[in-house]
Amino acid sequence: MAATAPRQQGTLGSARLREALVGYAFIAVPMGIFLTFFIYPLVYSLYISRYDWGVFGKIETLGWENYREMWHDEIFWRSIKNTLLYTVVVVPVEMALALSLAVIVNAGIRGKSFFRSSFYFPSLASSAAITAIAIYILSADGLLNAVVGGQRSWFGDSDTALWSIAGLNAWTTSGTMMLFYLAALQAIPTDVYEAAAMDGAKTWRTFSRITFPLLKPGHFFVSVVAVIGALQVFDQAFIVSNGSGGPNYSTLTAVLYLYRTAIADVRFGYAATIGIALFLLIFTLTLIQRLLFGKAETA
Amino acid sequence: MAIDVARIDQVDRSIPARTPGERARRVITYAILLAVSALFFVPFVWTISTSLKSLPETTGFDLLPDNPSLRAYREVLTEFDFLRYAANSLFLAVTITLANLILCSIGGYAFARLRFPGREVLFMLVLATLMIPDQLRLVPVFVMLSGWGLVGSFKGYMLIKLVLATNLFFMRQYFLTIPRDFEEAAKLDNAGHFKTFWKVMLPLTGPALAAITILTFQGIWNEFFWPLLLLGFGDPSHYTVQLGIAQFRFQYQTLWPQLMAASVIAIVPIVVIFLFFQRYFVAGVVASGVKG
Amino acid sequence: MNHRRLLAAVVCTGLFVLAAVGASVSQGKSAAPAAPSGTITLSGWASSPTETRLLREVIRGFERTFPAIKVNYAPVSGDYPAAMLAKFAARTPPDVFYVDSNVAPDWIKQRVLEPLDTFVSKSKLKTAAFYPPLLNGFRGPDRKLYGFPKDWSPLAMQTNNQLLASSGVAIPKTWAELSAAAKKLSVPGGRAICLSPSWDRLLAFVYQNGGTFLNAAKTRSTVNTPAVAAAVRFYVGLITSGVAGTPAQLGVGWCGEALGKEKAAIAFEGNWVVPFMADTFPTVKFTNSKMVRGKQDGNLAFTVSYSMARDSKNKPAAWQLIRYLVGQPGMKTWTSKGLALPSRSDVKPVAGRAAFIAAAPSARPWQFAPAFTKVIDVANNELTAVLEGKQTIPGMLQKIEQTANDAL
Repeated sequence: MAATAPRQQGTLGSARLREALVGYAFIAVPMGIFLTFFIYPLVYSLYISRYDWGVFGKIETLGWENYREMWHDEIFWRSIKNTLLYTVVVVPVEMALALSLAVIVNAGIRGKSFFRSSFYFPSLASSAAITAIAIYILSADGLLNAVVGGQRSWFGDSDTALWSIAGLNAWTTSGTMMLFYLAALQAIPTDVYEAAAMDGAKTWRTFSRITFPLLKPGHFFVSVVAVIGALQVFDQAFIVSNGSGGPNYSTLTAVLYLYRTAIADVRFGYAATIGIALFLLIFTLTLIQRLLFGKAETA
Repeated sequence: MAIDVARIDQVDRSIPARTPGERARRVITYAILLAVSALFFVPFVWTISTSLKSLPETTGFDLLPDNPSLRAYREVLTEFDFLRYAANSLFLAVTITLANLILCSIGGYAFARLRFPGREVLFMLVLATLMIPDQLRLVPVFVMLSGWGLVGSFKGYMLIKLVLATNLFFMRQYFLTIPRDFEEAAKLDNAGHFKTFWKVMLPLTGPALAAITILTFQGIWNEFFWPLLLLGFGDPSHYTVQLGIAQFRFQYQTLWPQLMAASVIAIVPIVVIFLFFQRYFVAGVVASGVKG
Repeated sequence: MNHRRLLAAVVCTGLFVLAAVGASVSQGKSAAPAAPSGTITLSGWASSPTETRLLREVIRGFERTFPAIKVNYAPVSGDYPAAMLAKFAARTPPDVFYVDSNVAPDWIKQRVLEPLDTFVSKSKLKTAAFYPPLLNGFRGPDRKLYGFPKDWSPLAMQTNNQLLASSGVAIPKTWAELSAAAKKLSVPGGRAICLSPSWDRLLAFVYQNGGTFLNAAKTRSTVNTPAVAAAVRFYVGLITSGVAGTPAQLGVGWCGEALGKEKAAIAFEGNWVVPFMADTFPTVKFTNSKMVRGKQDGNLAFTVSYSMARDSKNKPAAWQLIRYLVGQPGMKTWTSKGLALPSRSDVKPVAGRAAFIAAAPSARPWQFAPAFTKVIDVANNELTAVLEGKQTIPGMLQKIEQTANDAL
């Protein structure tokens, strides 16, 4: 490769400027979409949260009344508590499961493709099928009880309903997260492993001392996405409880409560208030994760 | 730096089992893996078996139908315009996946490797979009699209799905893991930013692109909520596969055999995509690049 | 040249005359009401494949009667309320659509429905044939009519013929008989009665005991009263004593399924259970009987209306469609398969529905006040808490009363 003399870019400043302009150009379309279809609705929600807002708009100006109502709303706090509990359980399980699957599949075992495909399968089957199967398996005389004994209805008992949803979702999303972890694992250069093998490191040691830390950007990604997803759990809670969040408020998640308020009660303003609160919660938790784990990435 | 497809499954980093203890451990590992795989396959098997049953039979959980019949499949394909729904979904999934591949990789690269003022804030903004539930965005987005006349055609749905924040986020993370040596080398060759991205960095992201392809394709294929709002009221000729499947759900009953038959038909393309692209999870692509 | 000018003048005059004549003709036409024409959209959800087919038949009949109107039937097979609200907000709603009596108070309050009284009086339509409780379910607080009930169903009692016969139990008619029958019935692998742990069944029993949820003016909740408490105690008592089970306890999704899988001998469901059983559990023979009575008859009416959108762009045509759909011939067609009960007393339902029709006088629509879904969710959750032993009945009623009064 013939070396050419570095082109005169002018001063360092104009190179920086070019880089900045190129940067903006590269992100222009994505940011445009995000601003229009995500940030604008968020700002819109902030606006309407100060009113009693119906289908055709303003019904009554309430100022901060919605927020005051939410602060004293027992049901709202219950939904937040459920959502947080759910997240705290589901995310570690999801991540551990996904990582294990990815590591297994990535390692040199025979039939790698087969296992990779089979672990991914729950994500492929339609949500309707999966939920229907889950409802069947977890019913009072379903498969799970046949195996572990007992007569409890897992989705119908307030002590177990939320955890059943957690288990179900951890299982179905593990395939997706596994793919992300797999891609991240692929990015680790093989010479790292070769060096470790040459130093006589056993597989677990290699994993915990070398692989695991090198996956930090992967962990960050999976944990952030998993937490954000878990805090917004809705579909299964809705299906299993027929929208009511029962039994005994156990499956009432924040988004379910938001949905009921907006669609069933047509109180868009109050729903927006709940949405803003939820957004702030998710944002804060993500920020914390960023501060704790995101340090590895300085560009 | 093309991905060497021929080498894919020949990479074997296993340490051969030496002692009987290790061999036994291997056997157990395989046994567990097979059991787990079987478990993961159960929903799919149940889906197929239900599609071959008759409605009264579906109330039990037998994995094998008594009188397997393809009646449900016939009904799905003839009485309902299912192939058209599948074609619609295919069109949407392919175009949206392509758009995402291009826009998210270029955007992810910018967030990972280019310096511009406000980058971190804008990135948090990208993450923030993931924190806004669909149910909250529903009315403003619909009113916007309706005002622009984009409801009822594919354009509105494609517009809101052009870029998915998860994909952009992932590409950024992936670019962060690529050693800087590559860019340094490119800089020495006087490559501009776009050239660096296109010729040097992008080819290194094979596994990430494969992951995004699979996940975006599957995400669009399986999505119900937004297609229902944006496509579900108009011409059934614009229905997606999931909207088609939902037609078998009624208020007080569900036609399970037909629904499952439709689901099986719907799954085929995703399986194909998955089986094709999962081979791109190749080890050592990055390593081989450094020395070369 | 002169000829040309003359020709031009003649042509222009001719055109002018034609235009004038045409204008006066069309003006003459608009002096008499113009026949409705155009394309309108009909929407709703699909309750069963047969009903969809029958509805299409009715629409075809309508289009033959009114060739100038084209109906675009676009049912929503998913989240109907969310989709409709989005369309309302964007001011592009379907012209005619279903409104469940449960959401009617909200949609009326939100002013998305068009009042039909002027159409009714202009067409000189007689509404006496419609069952009053159903019709009133779609009247707003201003007493205007916002929809015509298209069909309905109350609750009835389904009893498994074989299980009752083998235990030597007669079909109960009162609460006392119900308890006695339940104790005597033996159902292998299940319980005597299936009771849904939700107020959309419990409320019928409350009415039977003379209680109500709201006062007549809908300004205050009357749920924390002895009459209601006694009814709840009866209902909950059946479950906690073991003679009745919730669907979850019986391992099924709803009581219809319990009836079909013979996990319960008695269930309380509406007319929808009949086609369900015929399709899914054709071998189980059961009887529909009139709902039990407590101190009085009490029942719930689940009904859906055809309503017109306030933002409809073609109200005359939409009105013609509504009128036809709820007219005698239209209603007769789609209730002909027994999937729903006609909401008019001058249309006879198919055979075997006497038990349901008998409830007409005592049935009250399943609806409350605007923005009440939260209250009902609380009510249902408190009920499940009571059933799990985590809440007391007085505590529950007090909670519900408080939430209800807050919402009113």
